[in-house]
Amino acid sequence: MNPRTLTRRDALRVLGLTAAAAGLHGGAPAVAAPSGEAKIGLAAEPNTFDPHLTVGRNTQIFIANVYDGLTARDVQGNLVPALAESWKRLNANIWQFALRKGVKFHNGDDFNADSVKFTLDRATNPETKATISSELSTIAGTEIGDPYTVNVVTKTPDFLLPVRLGELFGLMLSPKHTNAAGKEAIAIKPNGTGPFKLATWAKNERLVLEANESYWRGAPKVKTIVVRPILEDAARVAALQAGEVDLIAPIPHVRIAELQRNDKLVIKTIAAPRIFHVTIDVRKPPFDNVKVRQALNYAVDVNTILKTLYFGHGTRLATVVDKGALGYDPSVQPYPYDPSKAKALLAEAGYPNGFEVEFDSFTGSIADHSKPAEAIMGYLQKVGIRAKANVFEFSSFGPRRVQNRTAPLFIYSIGNAYLEPSWVIRWMTQGGLGMHYKNAKLDELLTRIEATDDPRKRAPQYTEVQKLIKDEAPFIFLYQADAAFGMSARVDYTPRPDETQWLYPLGLKG
Amino acid sequence: MRAYIAGRLATAVLVILGVSVVSFFLTFLTGDPAEIMLPPGATAAQIEKFRAEWGFDDPLFVQYWRFLKRAVHGDFGISLRHGQQSLPLIAARLPATLQLTVTAMLLAIALAVPLGVLAATHRGGPIDLLAMGVALVGQSVPNFWLAIMMILLFAVSWGLLPTSGRGGFAHVVMPAAAIAINLMALLTRLVRSTMIEMLSEDYVRTARAKGLRELFVTSRHALPNALIPLVTVVGLQFGYILGGAVVIETIFTWPGVGLFTIQAILNRDYPVVQASVFILATAVVLINLTVDLLYVWLDPRIRVT
Repeated sequence: MNPRTLTRRDALRVLGLTAAAAGLHGGAPAVAAPSGEAKIGLAAEPNTFDPHLTVGRNTQIFIANVYDGLTARDVQGNLVPALAESWKRLNANIWQFALRKGVKFHNGDDFNADSVKFTLDRATNPETKATISSELSTIAGTEIGDPYTVNVVTKTPDFLLPVRLGELFGLMLSPKHTNAAGKEAIAIKPNGTGPFKLATWAKNERLVLEANESYWRGAPKVKTIVVRPILEDAARVAALQAGEVDLIAPIPHVRIAELQRNDKLVIKTIAAPRIFHVTIDVRKPPFDNVKVRQALNYAVDVNTILKTLYFGHGTRLATVVDKGALGYDPSVQPYPYDPSKAKALLAEAGYPNGFEVEFDSFTGSIADHSKPAEAIMGYLQKVGIRAKANVFEFSSFGPRRVQNRTAPLFIYSIGNAYLEPSWVIRWMTQGGLGMHYKNAKLDELLTRIEATDDPRKRAPQYTEVQKLIKDEAPFIFLYQADAAFGMSARVDYTPRPDETQWLYPLGLKG
Repeated sequence: MRAYIAGRLATAVLVILGVSVVSFFLTFLTGDPAEIMLPPGATAAQIEKFRAEWGFDDPLFVQYWRFLKRAVHGDFGISLRHGQQSLPLIAARLPATLQLTVTAMLLAIALAVPLGVLAATHRGGPIDLLAMGVALVGQSVPNFWLAIMMILLFAVSWGLLPTSGRGGFAHVVMPAAAIAINLMALLTRLVRSTMIEMLSEDYVRTARAKGLRELFVTSRHALPNALIPLVTVVGLQFGYILGGAVVIETIFTWPGVGLFTIQAILNRDYPVVQASVFILATAVVLINLTVDLLYVWLDPRIRVT
């Protein structure tokens, strides 16, 4: 681990914690009552406000505005207290959360240990058919210690539980209200503890958030936020240019430079935690040979792909650990673009004339995968690897992965919502969904990391993981793209590295 | 007549059923929603578990039978994505789509009839040339491109109209125009050619021989007869307009059936896709039926006995 980075990350973390502590315990200073109205244009709207039936990141990154989790993230992405003031591991399989007192749901119900138990029981009850149950599958049960202490018991040790029970999958419901209102009502009339109340929602039309003036962190700055789904990129950008909305996300990369020249607008970009990569089926020759896998990595000019397809708005990654993740080590350098080295490695491996291979890509998912795939195949061709392209619709590619019918090479991306490399790497080495790389040494390293509760002690251990993965090259390592936010000059907003569209700090100038 | 209508209604039911079968199998053949519904970190085992819970691992015909049994009671199932009954979800979006398509249709007719008549009465002249030029451009221009150009011009540059969304009358202008343009072009050509035909009919010659003024001849004798084929074409085009509305509703985020359906298709939200196909197919079939009956009423020559 580069000592410089460690210092920087630590500094950020300390800053974040201090800021959080000041905000949380220092008795928030008297702030002005919420005022004004902000209008926002987003590419998608939530499918539901029922936190257990959310589909897709677009929902999960938004509904946190009306709910709270036990934990939260600050603007740097550090885990900070929310409805839990603190948490600790009692033993390998029990996490204890000390809950915040005096928090009320929007309808006035008290938040306490009952709420936590009810919420987690509901999320893990098969009858709920929770879409997020896979993310909470380690939970065995929830025990109430006293009204403000809960123990969450896991089936196997789960070091990520405090992250899971944050804004991702731990948004808290009121037992009384949820039981009384029924499932269909929760989807459209949520009752959380969050900074905003959902005032009205006409699907595909507009959604209106009203400030929760008695929010436990202090009232939000803006009184009303009108969210309009504007699906078409050109129309969304046009709405910002025409002054119909104050903030839009995302902006297509091709438009960023043009909008940056507009002095009425402010464009902010942030590296989104989506890790693009090409999965290599290491079981099948010639990919069982590490030299061939490394050759693939030398063969692709990722920087040029970033420059041409993303107009430079992206970050080249050396491995599958993204820039915002815990323990990202920039001293682990990416493979340079070196086609002659690639050819040499292929010759050493016994393929001086290259070989033929199938390459899967798809359209219709949250991000563009087919154009980068085309570019990568072009580069492979240059070193003699003749790739035959199969392009699928995303939803028909899914079943192919489940049935392990993917080609030896396929492009994919995973959003590291947990900002934790181990979560990503475990998923990518699961031995299913077309991903078949296994390594005992890697497993051992990850197991050791997962037994370390303190993130500061986990972080440096990831350097060895990144070195090992880079050398083993079970993937063609690619990049993460920037997410761009456009705003009018009157808006004060800083996007968060975990993609959450957290509107609480949003302010209006003048 | 009653037997005719009964026969047509029976055919309509068969058509709707056929459309539902085709759409059901087409959507299912291209995959199921398991992977879209679950968070990205779900493992293969968790995806399989989800498919079993929702019955997506049953054979297709079993799933279709299950669907059909409920559908005959008007129950298309709970939307996988929205957690609400799918038929009311779609029905709630029908007014927006009707507002858009009917406005587009009226706009197209209002422009096409005078343009077509003028072209016919000034056949070969500059007005005819201009009208046919407009029609050619209108039929060739892709409506999604036109939509985005209109947004840039009317909303961003000139600030005259809102960029997208639904609200007052100003909101409907651009999306309706984008849908209307192709139909307008088609109808202009149709009106022109039928008018030319009518103007050479015997009864028109008779009218002229009686010494009636040309304007009167055109408007009272030729035009009403020229409009009969227009009714058929407008009726038949309604299906295409609904299809076009899918694209235009998406560009303008117009909260109608088209936008909702396209999202449901992309997300493999089968209950909503099925409910939507049912409603749209029913609408098209009913309108075609109405047009046929209207035609019988308008044109005594083809009245069935």
